[in-house]
Parts: sequence; C-alpha cells; structure tokens
Amino acid sequence: MESGLRPGEPGVLHVIDGDRPLDWERVYRDHVASIYRLLYYKVGNQHDAEDLTSQVFMEALPRLRASASGGEIHMYLVATARTMLAGHWRRRLGIEVTTIDENLAMAEVHEPPTDPLPRIRRILAKLPPNYRRVLELRFLERCSVGETAARMGISSGNARVVQHRALQRAAELGAEVGA
Amino acid sequence: MSRATRRVSRWVDDLLHERSPRGLRSNEEDAKILAAAIEFRSASPGAGLPDPHFVESLQQRLARETQGEVPRALRLSRRTLLASGGLAAATAAAGLVVGERLTGPSTVRRDLLPIGATWTAVALVADLPEGMTRSFDTGSVRGFVVNRGGKITALSGVCTHLGCLLQLNAAARRLDCPCHNAAFGLDGSVLFKHMPDALPPLPLLESRIREGQVEVLTV
Repeated sequence: MESGLRPGEPGVLHVIDGDRPLDWERVYRDHVASIYRLLYYKVGNQHDAEDLTSQVFMEALPRLRASASGGEIHMYLVATARTMLAGHWRRRLGIEVTTIDENLAMAEVHEPPTDPLPRIRRILAKLPPNYRRVLELRFLERCSVGETAARMGISSGNARVVQHRALQRAAELGAEVGA
Repeated sequence: MSRATRRVSRWVDDLLHERSPRGLRSNEEDAKILAAAIEFRSASPGAGLPDPHFVESLQQRLARETQGEVPRALRLSRRTLLASGGLAAATAAAGLVVGERLTGPSTVRRDLLPIGATWTAVALVADLPEGMTRSFDTGSVRGFVVNRGGKITALSGVCTHLGCLLQLNAAARRLDCPCHNAAFGLDGSVLFKHMPDALPPLPLLESRIREGQVEVLTV
C-alpha cells in the first residue's frame, strides 16, 4: 500500500505484473520521437525539449513493466512528460502554470500531437498586416531582427516593438481561435 | 523601447536559437506571450524533430543507467504487486467497489495503478444506473465508468494498440477504436480486431464510491 499511494512522488502510472525483462531499447526507439515532439511543442526549444525528454525516459523506463502494451507505455510516458513539464514551468516561472496559462501545460494534450501550422495560419489570418508579417518573417522564415526590420522597411527597434505587440495580439487571438 | 519589449525579443531570439528562454517573469501577461511565442516556434519548419545525436547519446546514457536495472524493476514490481493487493484488500474491507484485479505473471490484463495519485470524482452514482456507461476525462486520464449488473468499474479509454481514444458505441454496448477497427467490451475484453498485432484487454482503473460519486484514482 505504501508504494501505491505515497504522497509527493511524481504522478506516474505503474503498469503492474508480468516478469519478463523490459526491452527498453525497443520502447525507447518506438517512443522517443513522439515524446520529444510533444515536449518541443510545449517548450519551443531544443535545449529544454532534450532536457525534459531525458528526464522522462530516465524516470519512466525503470518503472515500466515488460508486459505493457504499446498504448499503455505511451500513456505512461505522456503522463510522465506532463509531470516533468509541470515541474519545469514551476521552476522556471515560480508558479503553477495551470493557474496562469494552460497553453504552457499539457492538460489539453491530444494524441498524436496535432500539426501546429493550421492553427497558426488561422491566427495569422486574423492579425493586422504588419503584425502578421513580423511573425511570418521571424518564426516561419527564421529571419533575424535585423533582416526582419530591413524587409519591413523599419528600424530594428521598431521591429522589436511590432514583434512584442504582435505576440500579445496573437496570444489573445489564440484563445479565441480554438484548436 | 520598453523593458518588456526587450525581454520578449530576447525570448524569441532564444527560442529561434534553440535555447531555453532567459529572464522569465512570474506574471500572467509574460506567460501568455511566452506561450504564444512557443506555439509559433513549434510551427517553424523542421521544429519538433529530435537531433539524431541527441537520440543516440540519450540511448547510450540509458544503457549505462539501466545496467543492472532489471532486478530493480522486478523488486519494484513485487512491491507494487504487494501494494496493489494491500490496496485491493483495504478497499474491499471498506466495502468499496473495486474492479476485478488479476495479479500474477500469467495474467494478460495489466491494471494501471497510479503512484502519488489522488481520487478524482468522475461521475455521480445517480447518473450511472445499471447498464449505463459514461466517459470521463480528468486531464491526465481518459476512460469510461461502467455499471454492469449493479457493479461499477472504471476502465481506460485508450486503445492498447497504438493509444487512440476509444469511442462509446452504446447501442452495441462496446468501445470502438476508430484507428484500426477494433472493439472492446465494457469489461475491457477484446471483442474483435483487424490487425495482426496482439491486442491486450483494456486496463481497469482503481475506482471507489464516495458520497454518491464515482471516484477514480488518477495522477
């Protein structure tokens, strides 16, 4: 009983019974790309996505039972990823993310993760032209602030201001546009 | 240019250079803007694909870390089995409704036992008359609560094949998987499947009744 309900342990699922050793290399190969992508979509950078993916597999693999099915293992890994992500934002932002912005948490994660581009296109379509342009140049074309400013015919300082306002507006629209 | 504008600009630069964003503030406005920047970043070309070098080096790290880990996993398993027996016994003694639980190496079904979990109410007993099935979603667990012959059980709503979400087919009294045309009975058993892979039954979830509500143990 004590191991089943010990408070304070990361909220993860145990898949119980079965005595064969786990073919963890197969589990790892089968799931690493999808867990990485899921985390990347929530942190937006390679550094944090790699860090969290490592944490998920280090934490989860010793606890997995060999007899678990692919679906169960995936569910278990996603549950672990959600726990690790909550801890990440709690450390980085000093607060429970779910209380400030559910977009940063994984509460609404769907499997498999959906392609983010269609939703981004819907948000972009609703933005004023200069806001849309700055975000397209920065995020979709990967331009630097200098290149973005040059292509928009504005100063770099101005490009930063437009970028800031565009993201503010995109955040508002994101809540309206829905999944 | 305001301080906030400089801060946002730095995050965007960090994200575009695959770095962890620096200088985060604990306020709602910043979190919203950061979330929008992360969402746009995830739509960048090629975003979300792991670096092969990372995949390789993590595999090597796991190989080092898991050396000699099989005995540890088995110890964990035994403890968990004992734990689950204890939990089942305790809940049975308290007169709570618990799903059938099969333990032992030859068992096909694997029930999901959350660690560090809490009981979450997922339905009113009054809304679950005999023969009724309802879906629930606690955020971490999706599943179904079923009243079969006056006995209420909870089972996972995720297909054991590739993890697709099951759909209740109330008329046929079964759970259909939309991905590969498979179906489970309301006891979690496999009714049919059209794929060569083995398809284990759906795991039961730990459940109980408290103050007129059906509660499920979730993370």
